[in-house]
Amino acid sequence: MSVTEGRLSRADLLKVGGAGALALSLGARPALGALSRSEATTLNMLTWSDHYANDQLAAVAKATGLRGRPTLFSDNADAYLKIKQTGSQFDVVSADGLWVPKYVKDGLTEPFDLSELPASKQLYSIARQFPFWKSGSNYMAYPFSWSTVQIYYNPKYVKTKPTSWHAILDKKYAGKISLENIPTDMMAIAGRATGAKNPYAMTTAEISRAKEYLKGLKPNVLKLASQNNEVVRALADESAWIGITNLGTDDRVKDAGGPTVKAAYPKEGTVGFIDSESIVKASKHKDVWEKFINTMEQAPWIAKNFLTNGRPLFNERAYKLLVNQGHGDRARRLLYNKPQLALKMTIKGPAGDQQAYTDAFNEVFGA
Amino acid sequence: MDQDLTTSSAAPPVDLPAGRRTSRVAGLGQYAGFIPALILYGVFFLVPLGLIVAYSFWTVVDYNVVHDWTLDNYHYFFSVPTYVRTMWATLWVSFAATAITLLIAFPFAYWLVRYVRRSLQGFFLILVVLPFWTSYLLRVYSWINILGEKGAINRFLLWTGVIDKPASFFLYDRPAVILVLVYLYFPFAALTLYASLERFDWNQFKAAMDLGAPPRTAITRIMIPQMKAGIVTAVIFVFIPILGEYLAPQLVGGARGVMIGNLIVNFFSGAQYTRGAAAALLIAVLIVILLVIFRKSLDVKDPYRA
Amino acid sequence: MRDVEVVSKHARLARFSFGSWAVLVYVFLFAPIVLLVAFSFNANKYGTFPFTGWTLHWYGQVFGDYQIKDALTTTLKVAAEVTLISTVVGTAAAFPLVRSNLPFRNGVRIGMTLPIMIPGLLIGVSLLVLMTSVFHFTLSPQTAVIGQSVYTTPFVVLLVAARLQGFDPSLERAASDLGANTVNRLRHVVLPLIMPAIFAGALFAFTLSLDEFIITLFLIGAHNTLPIYIYTQVKFGITPEVNALASLLLAGSLVLIAVAFALPLAVRKMRFAFRARKA
Repeated sequence: MSVTEGRLSRADLLKVGGAGALALSLGARPALGALSRSEATTLNMLTWSDHYANDQLAAVAKATGLRGRPTLFSDNADAYLKIKQTGSQFDVVSADGLWVPKYVKDGLTEPFDLSELPASKQLYSIARQFPFWKSGSNYMAYPFSWSTVQIYYNPKYVKTKPTSWHAILDKKYAGKISLENIPTDMMAIAGRATGAKNPYAMTTAEISRAKEYLKGLKPNVLKLASQNNEVVRALADESAWIGITNLGTDDRVKDAGGPTVKAAYPKEGTVGFIDSESIVKASKHKDVWEKFINTMEQAPWIAKNFLTNGRPLFNERAYKLLVNQGHGDRARRLLYNKPQLALKMTIKGPAGDQQAYTDAFNEVFGA
Repeated sequence: MDQDLTTSSAAPPVDLPAGRRTSRVAGLGQYAGFIPALILYGVFFLVPLGLIVAYSFWTVVDYNVVHDWTLDNYHYFFSVPTYVRTMWATLWVSFAATAITLLIAFPFAYWLVRYVRRSLQGFFLILVVLPFWTSYLLRVYSWINILGEKGAINRFLLWTGVIDKPASFFLYDRPAVILVLVYLYFPFAALTLYASLERFDWNQFKAAMDLGAPPRTAITRIMIPQMKAGIVTAVIFVFIPILGEYLAPQLVGGARGVMIGNLIVNFFSGAQYTRGAAAALLIAVLIVILLVIFRKSLDVKDPYRA
Repeated sequence: MRDVEVVSKHARLARFSFGSWAVLVYVFLFAPIVLLVAFSFNANKYGTFPFTGWTLHWYGQVFGDYQIKDALTTTLKVAAEVTLISTVVGTAAAFPLVRSNLPFRNGVRIGMTLPIMIPGLLIGVSLLVLMTSVFHFTLSPQTAVIGQSVYTTPFVVLLVAARLQGFDPSLERAASDLGANTVNRLRHVVLPLIMPAIFAGALFAFTLSLDEFIITLFLIGAHNTLPIYIYTQVKFGITPEVNALASLLLAGSLVLIAVAFALPLAVRKMRFAFRARKA
């Protein structure tokens, strides 16, 4: 008995301990489930990293009991596919520009009455009337922000301002460019660079030429960033000398402790986005979508968002707040008070032959 | 009365109820424990893998899978230079990472067995495994702070004057991927080599030395051949998982450090299931071939019979 | 192996070289971890050099963040379910693996380790196809549980099988001689004695599940486990809150190991004292 006693006692303990642990975890499961059910409704958001801030989500959750749970995506085509495939999994999707009508047409999102959200009164009136987002008396999406996609460069290393998309093909920038992983839009930019008539509806020949441009660009690319914060960081720690990204990057790089970077607008033109929040049609929480978005889109949060993320937004009251806080110059420099310029951009949207665009990009960059 | 006592010592005694069991039922009854596993692995492992095989020979039209049998996906894959290059790069990166990992782990294991007191060996082994207790993601991510332009290495080199401006060599390219992979898989190699080295009979070593062999000869001609099985096991445990790595190249590989895992994920997120399946199958077949070639080292002579 | 008399005159040099190598290895292993923990106290909100000051601010943020709580809850729920499934399925499978008259036992054993050998990516991707295209399930923590269980069960099988192999059959024979049938034998003799191995397997499965990333990434849908949440934050990039979270996880694991080691000793001491008092 004494020989096995030691072994039995440890086995005893472990048996009890193991059973206890399992029981606890099993018991915890329904308890935790009940807890989460009674506390809050969770809204799954498929969105960009600059559409929210952690403290904003926390505050909204506290105020309304609606908890946003973000999942990030890099390219509109990916988001579109995800919504298409996952049905009711997501409740909010942040679509860009001309993607919004496509989502509605394909039955993935629903228009709504903008006036039911009190926060919409804070928006610039022009943002409430984009012709491509109108659906009868309803609106397809709640307008959020806009920006062109341009070149930012570090003058310490890039001595001549790049005035053309071809200037950044220069071999001396090998491994020094950071750009976002946005296949559809990079192809469109490449189309602009190679003289395509309609960057989002390129012919096979134009796609081919665009692909050649990207091939030339590839050796200069340091990293394909999945969110624009990564581009900011690359410019801030100087691992990248050139970034292809949104307005306001210069301020963000400065805030990140980085050097001064300057903007450059290639003569061939570029693309831009107008983004938004939409209701996913198959969502199980459509009834609370408006309350959630309404609370998220209040001016103070939008003002904060501008200071963190740089590019202009459509909330006019937030602009006034920024002016009062002394950031008027910065806001005006970044065209915040000129939302009408958004309509002058080549607005991002789905490509004619989406698969061909994605394929061409992947065939150059791999992944 | 037990019938099996005479046949084997490890088999449990068979109990006979009032009626008689036929030996076949008794025979099948002993496999009952496999049933849950068969369900789990049948449905959720073999069937999905079978699906992947099938998918790789079908096509996607307009985001829907069409069940036409074709080799298109493979043709496509091999027709794109970037994909083929990535495939080769994956192989040599895996190979390099495995080789380096073993080269680092072997002297370490030797040190542990040879120079460390038996009672302390467990402690030092746990120390090796300890980093595993942090998040895998963060272990990869933390290297960015070390390898980056403003990271620890560059700061050190600048401070000592070895270079006069930050080197971008260290990050966002294949060398960074190899380094991080070595870091991640070192514990596997160290533990496996340690286990093998620990069983090594040092008396043979001593005898060789007594006979006048210098240490290096003793190592190469006595120790390493005996450790071959352990070395091969370590290679398998490191090389094969690295082939399918996704996260390390994703975080530190940049545009030039892409591995086939990233391609596969990219295909699947773009709903190009059939192409993704073809790429996945290429890797899977390679792994199966390796496992078949090296099955002898996974063999333990009838492990569960005395 | 101090009893190996090394005749070579470079003995001291060899010892020194190997020792230094070991030191370098440990520095290599721990440098990133140390840096990770250090940055969790860095006031610089970008979590990079330079160190602008020391603060506990990020730890405070971790505790207040509902997204982290949400991810942690999901992680624990998933881990609990995975542990349950793996332990039951794995233990059950270990018995016939060791004790039956299995032909091709080696082949079966290798087959059982296949899910560990092939990259998790392949498991994730193939199950994604199965779940969405064949079963049309919604991806959720439940589908992730299935995927993770496929990965963790072989570990339980191997651990329990190893213990079963070394099991003394005379104990069972004795029980059978005393009239116990199979069920009683299992319940009163076998299972209690192999319980440490089962517990070790369960603990292993639990640990593997906590940190599992790639399979979960494909199968969890819109939910988050901690590794996936951390991944999102890493892409998002900015604050050292993630470092603080990682340091807390590390500290938690260390505490768990310490407890796992110290507890049996403490209990044995208590039992011994109790028994002594009884006698």
